Amino acid sequence: MNPVSSALILVGSVLAVLAGVGLLRFDSAAARFHSAGKASPIAFLFVAIGAAPEVGLFAAQLAVAAVALVLTLPAATHLLFRATHRTSSSAYLRDDALTRDRISQASKETQP
Amino acid sequence: MITSIAIALFVVSSLCAMIRVIRGPGLADRVIALDVALVALMGAIATKAASTGSTTYLPIVAVVAIVGFTATIVMTRFLEQGSGS
Repeated sequence: MNPVSSALILVGSVLAVLAGVGLLRFDSAAARFHSAGKASPIAFLFVAIGAAPEVGLFAAQLAVAAVALVLTLPAATHLLFRATHRTSSSAYLRDDALTRDRISQASKETQP
Repeated sequence: MITSIAIALFVVSSLCAMIRVIRGPGLADRVIALDVALVALMGAIATKAASTGSTTYLPIVAVVAIVGFTATIVMTRFLEQGSGS
């Protein structure tokens, strides 16, 4: 592998570790979702860019995977957190750690 | 050398996610931890393809990237119907 590819793959794997450690160590559900939903698509994006020059025309498959992941994983995390917010207790969500709760504000505005 | 380090880091990431799957207080934590483990698997496959130049397993990466999304959406529907928590 050329040095640029190696560096990009290494950056991506370090970001994946940061996503995993954040998922493990954060104590509020919002912070865990935040770490998992933002760090892991970026991690795969770095790895895909680093691996693309090494696989020739098969880089197209890596591009499809990276685009699909970057488009869908944040949206899926958002939907999952909204479902959690609607159904879970406030002790699990740790509402006191939030500075602003715009989901509750929006639902109060639509249901007078 | 670089490949070994990168794959070891991906293994560490998916081990963290697996601990969260076992311990996680809610269903949503487990779903998102499985997503992170899936991304680590995809990164490890891409790293292996880049280091050896063999492209046999690259379609798995593309398919997993598309199918993992639908699994999360299905779990979201399941959560909103109130059957699990």
